[in-house]
Amino acid sequence: MDRYDQVVIGSGVSGLTASVLLAQGGRKVLLLEKAPTIGGALTRFYREGVPFDTGFHFTGGFADDGLLHEMSKVLGIRDAIVPIVLSPDAAFRFIFEEDGRVYDFPYGIPRLLERLQEYFPADAAGIRQYFGMLKQVWDRTGAMELAAVLSSAMSTAVINEDHTSLQSVLDDLLDSPYLKTLVSAFCMCYGVKPTEVSFANHSRMCHGLYESVARIEGGGGAFIQAFARRLTELGVDVRCGRHVAECADIRGDAVHRFILNTGEEVELESCVLTIHPKEVLKILPKRLLSPAFVTRISDFESSCGFFTVFGVVEAGCKDDAIEKSIVSLLPSTDVNEMLDPWHEGDSALVVIGSVEDVAGVPVKTRCAFEPSFMTEVAEWTDSRTGRRSPGYLEYKRKRAARMQERMNALLDEQKGCFRLRASASVLTYRDHLHSPDGSAYGVKQKLGQINLLGKLPVRNMYIAGQSAVLPGVLGAMLSSFFVTRAVLGKATFGNILLTGGC
Amino acid sequence: MKKTLSEKEVIALTNRVLAESFEIEEERLLPEKRIFADLGLDSLDTVDLVVALQKRFSITIREDERVRSIRSLGDLYTYIMTVQQEQQAGTEG
Ligand SMILES: Cc1cc2nc3c(=O)[nH]c(=O)nc-3n(C[C@H](O)[C@H](O)[C@H](O)COP(=O)(O)OP(=O)(O)OC[C@H]3O[C@@H](n4cnc5c(N)ncnc54)[C@H](O)[C@@H]3O)c2cc1C
Repeated sequence: MDRYDQVVIGSGVSGLTASVLLAQGGRKVLLLEKAPTIGGALTRFYREGVPFDTGFHFTGGFADDGLLHEMSKVLGIRDAIVPIVLSPDAAFRFIFEEDGRVYDFPYGIPRLLERLQEYFPADAAGIRQYFGMLKQVWDRTGAMELAAVLSSAMSTAVINEDHTSLQSVLDDLLDSPYLKTLVSAFCMCYGVKPTEVSFANHSRMCHGLYESVARIEGGGGAFIQAFARRLTELGVDVRCGRHVAECADIRGDAVHRFILNTGEEVELESCVLTIHPKEVLKILPKRLLSPAFVTRISDFESSCGFFTVFGVVEAGCKDDAIEKSIVSLLPSTDVNEMLDPWHEGDSALVVIGSVEDVAGVPVKTRCAFEPSFMTEVAEWTDSRTGRRSPGYLEYKRKRAARMQERMNALLDEQKGCFRLRASASVLTYRDHLHSPDGSAYGVKQKLGQINLLGKLPVRNMYIAGQSAVLPGVLGAMLSSFFVTRAVLGKATFGNILLTGGC
Repeated sequence: MKKTLSEKEVIALTNRVLAESFEIEEERLLPEKRIFADLGLDSLDTVDLVVALQKRFSITIREDERVRSIRSLGDLYTYIMTVQQEQQAGTEG
């Protein structure tokens, strides 16, 4: 039987990060992935040879000294990642569909602050106060600088802003409904309503995106390749198409052996799970869990998911705006409604462009996302990819057509240029990512909620992942830094931070 | 608006949380019992206990000096009495 110091479960960015860090700490690591390939939400898929990203599309944190930049260096993958920064003057463009108002967000916090005051002079004082509050959170979270973030124990230290909702801060400080919408629109980047998210979490999520916004050359695939190379260099064993069917040899509140779905057995010292908390419940031995723990996990709600259309732009068509900016179409000024699982009608529509190299020829691709929830596809939840009903296919066709209609109406350059290649509902995401709810960001990280992070009630098992610290690729990666520090101990971990594992 | 619970109600509800959520026998739930040493909860259970109490009493429990000084079940009853009164009176967010 094979024996490992560490088994890591799930090979999204969290599991890949944990595997590399643990191997850098000298541990013998096995990475288990349920899907046929590694990568989770970083995975790309191809249509007629053209690559599209499943989940991850853009990120903050790649500015000099940005968190993602720093973490990638430690992992030894930074050189393989080429950020493509978006227009410094209009990284994000927001268009209000009702009256056609357009607002551009530059990046760089001082410039954004200035721009917002120009747009909304009557709110200038409130805007300065709002940014002052953001800064306080950033400062207390170690200004989002890696070593400081890790030592600030962000995961456990609760600050006042953790108990204040974003909505209440907006209502206290700002007047214009347009302005409130603009500063809360990044709720789409973590999938929680302004009334339900703490001001602290919103601030942490915005920090990287306000500093710089980048796509990555080669998309999520570039991360996967870079990680795969590191896993090989570090001698990590990777087994795909595998999951834990049974925990065995349970002694002293710890699990010492896994029996996999294939019948293979592995002995382990300890395990890091990087999958959705509700999937974790299915693995842990029931008799080691208190009803309180089970209820706590079962009560977690889902963050939003997306309905997505993927397509290409005809050669010769011009659409500079989407190449330079991430464009959001907003049907109203009610962000809470846009993120409500029961909301019917249009929601925010986010359009992201990219240029991909297809056998030496540059091809322009477009992906458009609209928040979506299980409630919308409730009647088809029992179906699986490849075996859906005609009713479901009709739902997808209509939803995709409506999204294209909205893009055509407001993005002139798009008219007649977009060729749909694929679409995905929350059920598509659920089945491809092996998550229970098809959400984009795992568990909804609500005001006052205590996330599941680190040690589990099984003595040698830990949990990381996007639901543990902060959602998104940056938060998911960060969660594995926290957890590996707990597993390896501060001294070994500190060494990895210093040497980058070299 | 919900009413403030009496001491008796707080004790009964807290005991019910401990019995149901951690499968502790009711007869062991006495005020002088220490939560960790006598009732067998460990530090990992603390978060689950906090979450369960917050839900049952509709209160917010924040990590502060008062929480850190809780040792016995009696301390816990007193703490919950105080917090629910404070939060009823609107002195807390
Ligand atoms: C449509 C969409 C758009 C997004 N856009 C962005 C974006 O632009 N920027 C950004 O930062 N973030 C974005 N996100 C979020 C981001 O992709 C995630 O936060 C991040 O990738 C999550 O990483 P993870 O490792 O925690 O989870 P995942 O990537 O979900 O990985 C979990 C892995 O575990 C596997 N697994 C599940 N159960 C088991 C099991 N029992 N045994 C073994 N393996 C198992 C799964 O197959 C999967 O590979 C988006 C997400 C989606 C869905």
